Amino acid sequence: MSIVTDPARPVEVPVEPGTAKPRRRGSFGFNSISPTEKVVRYLLLVFVLLITIGPFLWQLSTSLKGSGEDIYTRIPRLLPSQPTLSHYGEVADTIPVWDYMKNSLLVAVLVVGGNIVGSSLAGFALSRLQFRFRRIVLGLFLATLVLPGEVTIISQYVTVRELGLANTLFGVALPGMIGALNVLLMFNAFRSLPIEVDQAAVVDGANVWQRFVYIGLPSVRGTISVVAIFAFIGAWDDFLWPLIVLTDPDKYTLTVGLQYLSGTFSNNPRLIAAGTMIAFIPIVIVFAVCQRFFFKGVEEGAVKG
Amino acid sequence: MKYHRWFTPWVLIIPALAWLLVFNLWPSINTVILSFTNARPIGGGTFVGLKNFETLLHDEQLRYALLNSVIYMVVCLPFLTIFPLLLAVLVEKKLPGITFFRTAFYTPVVASAVVVALIWQWILDDRGLVNGLAEKLGVISGPLPFLSDQWLLLLSAISLTIWKGLGYYMIIYLAALGNVGRELHEAAAVDGASAFRRFVNVTIPGVRGTMVLISILISVSALRVFSELFILSGGKGGPGGRDNSVVMLIQQYSQGFEGNLGYASALSIVLFFVTVVPMLVLARLNRKGVEA
Amino acid sequence: MRSRRLSVVAGLAATALALAGCGLGSSDDTSSGSKPTVDANTQVTGEVSLQTWALKPKFTTYVEGVIKAFEAKYPGTKVTWLDQPGDGYDKKVLSQASAGQLPDVVNLPPDFALPLAKQNLLLDVAAADPKLSEEYVEGGVQAYQYQGQTGTFGYPWYLNTDIDYWNSAKFAAVGLDAKNPPKTFDELLAAAKVMHDKSGGKEYLMSRLPGIGDFTNAGVKVLSDDGKTFTFNTPEAVALLDKYRAAYAAGYLPRDILTQEYLGNSKLFTQGKVAWTTGGGNAIQDFVKDNPSLKGKVVPSPALDTPPLYVQGLSVSAKTKNQAAAIALARFVTNAENQAAFAKIVNIFPSTKASANDPYFSKSDGTPESDAKVLAFASLAKAKSLQPAVISGATNDFINQQISLAIAGKVTSKAALDAAVAKANQLLAQ
Repeated sequence: MSIVTDPARPVEVPVEPGTAKPRRRGSFGFNSISPTEKVVRYLLLVFVLLITIGPFLWQLSTSLKGSGEDIYTRIPRLLPSQPTLSHYGEVADTIPVWDYMKNSLLVAVLVVGGNIVGSSLAGFALSRLQFRFRRIVLGLFLATLVLPGEVTIISQYVTVRELGLANTLFGVALPGMIGALNVLLMFNAFRSLPIEVDQAAVVDGANVWQRFVYIGLPSVRGTISVVAIFAFIGAWDDFLWPLIVLTDPDKYTLTVGLQYLSGTFSNNPRLIAAGTMIAFIPIVIVFAVCQRFFFKGVEEGAVKG
Repeated sequence: MKYHRWFTPWVLIIPALAWLLVFNLWPSINTVILSFTNARPIGGGTFVGLKNFETLLHDEQLRYALLNSVIYMVVCLPFLTIFPLLLAVLVEKKLPGITFFRTAFYTPVVASAVVVALIWQWILDDRGLVNGLAEKLGVISGPLPFLSDQWLLLLSAISLTIWKGLGYYMIIYLAALGNVGRELHEAAAVDGASAFRRFVNVTIPGVRGTMVLISILISVSALRVFSELFILSGGKGGPGGRDNSVVMLIQQYSQGFEGNLGYASALSIVLFFVTVVPMLVLARLNRKGVEA
Repeated sequence: MRSRRLSVVAGLAATALALAGCGLGSSDDTSSGSKPTVDANTQVTGEVSLQTWALKPKFTTYVEGVIKAFEAKYPGTKVTWLDQPGDGYDKKVLSQASAGQLPDVVNLPPDFALPLAKQNLLLDVAAADPKLSEEYVEGGVQAYQYQGQTGTFGYPWYLNTDIDYWNSAKFAAVGLDAKNPPKTFDELLAAAKVMHDKSGGKEYLMSRLPGIGDFTNAGVKVLSDDGKTFTFNTPEAVALLDKYRAAYAAGYLPRDILTQEYLGNSKLFTQGKVAWTTGGGNAIQDFVKDNPSLKGKVVPSPALDTPPLYVQGLSVSAKTKNQAAAIALARFVTNAENQAAFAKIVNIFPSTKASANDPYFSKSDGTPESDAKVLAFASLAKAKSLQPAVISGATNDFINQQISLAIAGKVTSKAALDAAVAKANQLLAQ
């Protein structure tokens, strides 16, 4: 079965070669909104903000509270009465924040890279190419979401150790480098691209790789950034797995290293809050950067074939 | 017309497939084997046949856990399928400061469990925000036991899940909305369709596939809920363990050095079959949707 | 017991289970631990690793100092120090043990050491060091001796216990005197009633659910002598639970404590929501640090009953390649001199008999912190381990669940205790 003649999905309307949807024009008309709508939107935004921002503010304000301040008042006080940045300095004095951050970043970059490459390749093949066992493979990825993963951490560790990767940052990154969920997200994203575009490209003589790079990828940028966000946060926030894989404290990731702020005999919630805020900043940056791509997909990429 | 060689798709899929086999499937097979033993986390274990599964049948706590998980799913599914989509539509439009709002809405997803627990306890405890307000307004005569009653605790945990899920599913929808052709929206707008009609007739069909995927994710994660119940029940599953989820039970049995890994594995397998059902139903819906 | 060994499918399962860290067929309930092959007089040299639990960075200087002194005392030794974070330590040790990679000398509390000793992963240090029981306090040594196992599986390191802390402002507000706090459980209940009634139900004294330690204190035999069955469903335990139950129903305890975490009572105390908590000798500093408004309001007093004894110790891996150096290191770190130095930088107490006469622990300098330390040190003499080491993890959870179910009034105390015992026995036998 070397030649596949039917397209990946049933096509309802045969499209003439070469015709694709016209490039989107500027959408000024659609984007301009009435002042009333603007007010309503902002009201709604602020309402949701009030619901969601609590923990963040609590953390921020705790980290800024002076050591003479009660942090457990019955009604949480948001504004510190003796604001200080000293806890941030203390975190940096206590643990090598920069080194841990570098380690975390390395793991996160590996995981993000692995997921973007691995899951977009697989997602593309599953949604745009026809081949035997496609449904079975797809089902396998879907099934992975529900596989019993609760009691497998030790066996994961043994696998990584057998590969000679115990106590390495690569070993920490490895299992998370391609996630089934991300494959499904990419599958779903590629699938919403009109099939006619593909066909046109095939007629133009584009091979699979060209279709992937020039047609597929540009139109799923939004989803790629979602995958990047999920992968980044997953890698960045993971605690138990790096703790088990790593033995050498020099190699600790930030989440593990931050644990040193809460020692056996000392627990300063203000210091811990400052540590959490430090760990939080890169997440905010990644999120803020990635969310810009959510909307560029259709605008920039639809057809280049 | 020759689209591609037979092995091309496999070349693209192999990395993902390899990961899946090594890091998901293989450990799961292990779990299956363990479920027929009485293994502890370290050291020995002997083959005990179906004993773990027999014990399962009489496990009162499992019955509560399954019931809780199903309630969890049934309540979460509609809320988390709809609200995040509305939220995504709300933040989709470029307005000054929108990046700030998008980021802020996502923060609950990454907030530390300790802080989340503190805040929710402050909101829900006997003298918390909700009870205080309700008493002032005269809606209730005494505080409602949000954190100690079996059902109210479950409800509180569900609200926590929905609260956290808003931002998470919002961004999946956001990315999908980016894929919905704006031309359609514009055309509809030009035709004078109301915002609501555009939402129903353009937005929803446009993100249909994503919606199905999201509802699969919601049901799977609702059935496997752990952290919210863990946080609100002080890690113990409430009085009598009646607020346990299946995953909490698994965690209880497998923790520490003296856990019962065999039984925990058997529970894991029950959970697998329980989660497969809604997934198959939803995936079926999806296929029909595509082919229709 | 061994009848259904898995030998038929061993081919398949052995690989799989080796991967899960659970080799089948090694579940012998052997009764003697690994015996050391060298005695304490062998030449001490070579490399050895030491794993501590959450001592970095606060005690880095101290630990490094001890290590330097060790290396100086035994030329040719080299110590690698690993300090593990506080959270997830059990899982870390578990994965090390499964992978056969326990550090040579490792800090293990008694309930972590027990399962490892059962699997012959720890050395019987007493066999190599006959002076062990002479030099360390009895309670500390006993904590590393287990029913059904011969041997002592760790050098006791530092000790701690709980004393009571009272909020004097809350006491005064309802006409009670924190300087003369309740001395028995019944007095405590009476004070809780006063606190409730005089404040119109707004203030609470107690906020702790009873546990195994309270049963032990009430004279309940928790575990049978052979260590194979639990026996805490006695009328005395029922009576104790009934008292809590009545107090809870009357509103003397905050309702939400049914779902609070372990240590929830000290958190509520810190937040100024309750007027009583138990805590170690160093707890008073944390209360005041987290909530400065408590300053001057926290009054310590001895525990109501027999105080609990908390022990930390250093165990030696049975797989160590350098037994002589490992044993020497464990002994060195826990010797009287090093422990006394440690105890002076943090409020813990040495497990060596020689430290008992150190005036540092018995004379207060007048500050509440120092009072608490002296009180706690005095309590140590009476302190006993109130909870058998076999109760950990799952067993603990299930017992607590049943206790809170009874206190919530959903089932009778008797039914809850019976259920807890049944479940605990099931987990023990497995």
